[in-house]
Amino acid sequence: MTSRAPRSPSTARKGGWARLSTVVVYAFLAGFAVLTLFPFLWMVLTSFQTPGDTFRIPPSLTPSLLFSAHPFANFAELFQRFSFGRYLLNSVFVSTVAAAGQLVTCSLAGFAFARMRFPGRGLLFGALVFTMFVPTEVTIIPEFLLMAKLNWLDTYLPLIVPSLMVGAFGTFLLTETFRSVPYGLEEAATIDGASPLRIYWHLFMPVARPALVSLFVIAFIDNWNELLRAVLYISSNDLKTAPLGLVSLQGQYQSEWTLLMAGSLLSILPMIVVYLLAQKYIVQGFVTSGIK
Amino acid sequence: MRYRRITPYLFIGPMIVGLLVFRLIPIVASLAASFTRWNVFTAPTWVGLANYRAMLGSPDFWQILRNTGVFALLYVPGTMGLGLALALLVNRELRGVTALRGVFFMPYITSVVAVAIVWRWIFATQYGVLNYLLTRVFGMAQGPSWLGDAHYALLALAIVYVWQSSGFQMLLFLAGLQNLDLSLEEAARCDGATRWQVFRHITLPLLSPMTFFILIVSLINSSKTFQVTYALTGGGPQNASTTLAYAIYQNAFVFFRMGYASALAYALLVVVGAITLANFGLRRRWVYHDEPRAS
Repeated sequence: MTSRAPRSPSTARKGGWARLSTVVVYAFLAGFAVLTLFPFLWMVLTSFQTPGDTFRIPPSLTPSLLFSAHPFANFAELFQRFSFGRYLLNSVFVSTVAAAGQLVTCSLAGFAFARMRFPGRGLLFGALVFTMFVPTEVTIIPEFLLMAKLNWLDTYLPLIVPSLMVGAFGTFLLTETFRSVPYGLEEAATIDGASPLRIYWHLFMPVARPALVSLFVIAFIDNWNELLRAVLYISSNDLKTAPLGLVSLQGQYQSEWTLLMAGSLLSILPMIVVYLLAQKYIVQGFVTSGIK
Repeated sequence: MRYRRITPYLFIGPMIVGLLVFRLIPIVASLAASFTRWNVFTAPTWVGLANYRAMLGSPDFWQILRNTGVFALLYVPGTMGLGLALALLVNRELRGVTALRGVFFMPYITSVVAVAIVWRWIFATQYGVLNYLLTRVFGMAQGPSWLGDAHYALLALAIVYVWQSSGFQMLLFLAGLQNLDLSLEEAARCDGATRWQVFRHITLPLLSPMTFFILIVSLINSSKTFQVTYALTGGGPQNASTTLAYAIYQNAFVFFRMGYASALAYALLVVVGAITLANFGLRRRWVYHDEPRAS
């Protein structure tokens, strides 16, 4: 399937082969699409079933609750018995603040790295790129002790601050994006007496919009998915994030698949909303950044 | 461009503070901690290289290192191969191709934990849908206990991780493909090259800088397995699916062996660092550079 060049170069020769190959491509794509979507369908289906439905062979394909008096019984139970609404709000809050903060810190740093010359620039940029290669697990023990010293355990802060301040990937992405802006504009603005902050805000930020949107989505997803820090730093039920809430639910109810699937479905909905809102910018953001 | 001397430091200030406090200092502190015996509750005592000696002498460590390697060997080619194949297939003018790109990217924009739990349900030995398909539709005598059998646990983790991330790889490859200069490919086609020749000798070399970037990202991602492992297997059965990242967590925060865990953290850093450096070293061999040559 990799034996075909992307974008058929010649549209003139549309013979039987071209039509056949289109059919083959569609068949592969459809197959992959089914594999990709199946777990989601299964999750949705199970979250509208009763526990009894999940212990059948062959597996039951009817969302039986939809035909009952309480179609959303599993979701209702999550909200009433397990404060799942609270978990979701916590995750939305933490991920939004951390991702929005990253846009500020990464774009400021990216602007300086891309457009200013200063002593230590190479070294600092090198250190930043180096930390991209260092998994969080390597630094988590000192980080934990630092959080304990700062009295930040069991607060939102350890979930927000480290991620907000060090967006290595984001800085890298925005540095590359800002580098591709033509110099002429900046020269003109400086001659007109604009301050660096104005140039950054009025000239560079608008140009980088697709990259900024992509970065927000990626940072939002990364923060939403942060489980290690949540496991270590959060102990009160009120502060649990959605993934932490889900794993605690799984710890208590190993095989209550109907509840677990309803919870899983709830915890991916906010991310899908964010993605759909930003979708049209995402590929564009990577293309214009010129990362090759 | 001229700015005042202090200006650049004001712009990078917040990031540099964070970089120092949350990344660089902890990297050094981890190294110091790896030379101590330390259970958090009492003060650390200096033990020199004892943790490293214990680590290298422990069969568990070698198994965990092997698990980490096997996982990377399953995950990296799997996710990159699938990502490239999907990118090539959706990089064409077909009806509905935008929707398909959205579908393939979908697993990446979902919660890893949620996805892991769904897969645990799919993998369930007795009532899981995967084993149902294997036994009833494909006629296997008995479906494996995916998460409870030491032979399958790592494979199961890799399947979930590949499924979850190949859409992201597709997107990166797609961005690379769309940046390519198509005139070379068209010229080669006009000169009678087959599609395979064009792909092998023009598209792949032109794409190689992006492929290199994706390879580095995937290798690093393959060491970040905490979430999936925590939600799916907890490292079991025994140590069969424990990778280095998970072993660091277990030793530090379950067994409270901070010193030993720090030594494991450094083992992880050395492994990731060595592989990354090796890749940068090999880069010249296969990554194409479009730099103007002095003539």
